[in-house]
Amino acid sequence: MVEKDKVELLRDILFTDDRVFVQKIADRIGVIEQTIEEKDKLSEKVDPIISKQLDDFVEEIPTKLGPAITATLKEEIRKNKEEIVDALYPILGKMIKKYIAQEIKMLSNKISKQLSAKRWNIKFKSWFSGVKEEEIIISNLSVSTIEQVLLIERGSGILAASYSKTKTIDEDMISGMLTAIKGFVEDAFGQKNQNLELIEYELYNIHLQSFVSYYVAVVISGNYSLEAKDKVQDLIFDFYDDFMGKNLDSLFSSDGNEKKEKVSRASLEKQLNKKFENAII
Amino acid sequence: MQLSKKIVVLGHFGVGKTSLIRRFVENSFSDNYKVSIGVHITKKVVEFEVEDTMSLILWDLEGTDEIKTIRDAYLLGTHGVVFVFDVTRPSTFQSLNTDLEIIKSKLPTTPLFVVGNKVDLVVVSELETLFKENNIKTNFLTSAKTGDTVNDMFFELAKLIK
Ligand SMILES: Nc1nc2c(ncn2[C@@H]2O[C@H](COP(=O)(O)OP(=O)(O)OP(=O)(O)O)[C@@H](O)[C@H]2O)c(=O)[nH]1
Ligand SMILES: [Mg+2]
Repeated sequence: MVEKDKVELLRDILFTDDRVFVQKIADRIGVIEQTIEEKDKLSEKVDPIISKQLDDFVEEIPTKLGPAITATLKEEIRKNKEEIVDALYPILGKMIKKYIAQEIKMLSNKISKQLSAKRWNIKFKSWFSGVKEEEIIISNLSVSTIEQVLLIERGSGILAASYSKTKTIDEDMISGMLTAIKGFVEDAFGQKNQNLELIEYELYNIHLQSFVSYYVAVVISGNYSLEAKDKVQDLIFDFYDDFMGKNLDSLFSSDGNEKKEKVSRASLEKQLNKKFENAII
Repeated sequence: MQLSKKIVVLGHFGVGKTSLIRRFVENSFSDNYKVSIGVHITKKVVEFEVEDTMSLILWDLEGTDEIKTIRDAYLLGTHGVVFVFDVTRPSTFQSLNTDLEIIKSKLPTTPLFVVGNKVDLVVVSELETLFKENNIKTNFLTSAKTGDTVNDMFFELAKLIK
């Protein structure tokens, strides 16, 4: 489905009452299934692709087989096109169906989440701001959110500080796992100075920014666009700059006593909170 | 502030690395052998005294007969190493001293424990002669199955790296 169609579909299904909503989804699925199951409709779409592939295929044969064989093959394939399309049809059909099912599942997951928790919130927002409810919901869907930020020691993978919107799995363990994955990928595929920058995990994008002794992992949900990436990087650099500055300050304190103490976790986390809590990306 | 330390557990295939960690973290054991692939990370908080705790971040590495093939990336920043062998399978400890040298060359200053596991399957007095013959020194003999000495071993390591 194209982006535009998704939005159309959303618009249609979101703002009718629940019974109509269910009916609409059922109707849509009906239409989609019909399209897939109607062979003629599908082969209209698939035929040109197949012809092109066959042509490409046939083109390569002459170098390997004699022209005589090629001619016969060409003829045979042309004569039996129908059968070939037939053989391919279930495979393509399955792929398309699976894809659509997946899309619908993701969409309805998002919608039901939106409906349950935020419905009232949005109603109020709409009431006061005068912006239509559907517009608020749609803009919420495409937005990306910072779920978690981890400051992790490179190598050991020990967590130095974290910010988390909602407490999830154990952060010490996530930090270790990210570090193991990062180490594995960099070891196995990368040259010495290459760093793994992005891990996609289910509905999350995990942005990794490496520095010398630490790296920062930012877990983002939603659509992680280039603009969002740009903003996330700025936030990380800002934070790290600050952190390193403080670190140096406390290492070389001016009162003469060499403290050799790093910035405390509590103050780091305060800083992380301040930087990332209300950040809009 | 919570103190965290990274412990790497390594050794040949099937010597009981995963089982030792499971015994320590969940106090459970299974006879089913599931080969580990890659690294698995778990955490256990040990308490020395009230308000005096340490988080052990345990890196359970996949087994390998070639210790030198272990990825350096997994060993970076390690605070403590547990090398496990299987007391019932000489192939897992015959090259012990070479294996240990390889580890020490990669981690020269990191505390290391040598642990012989599955002692529930042997007579300990017979082991002693076997070890003497092979010039083997261990820090601990454990059984992930019965739980024998497992907690003590990890606890001693935690104390050592504190
Ligand atoms: N009798 C007995 N069996 C054990 C003991 N520890 C582990 N085992 C068994 O040995 C087999 C291997 O155990 P694992 O813990 O998976 O060994 P591992 O070293 O993690 O294996 P890899 O990760 O594949 O290298 C399993 O069938 C365990 O049940 C033990 O102390 N006593
Ligand atoms: Mg294992």
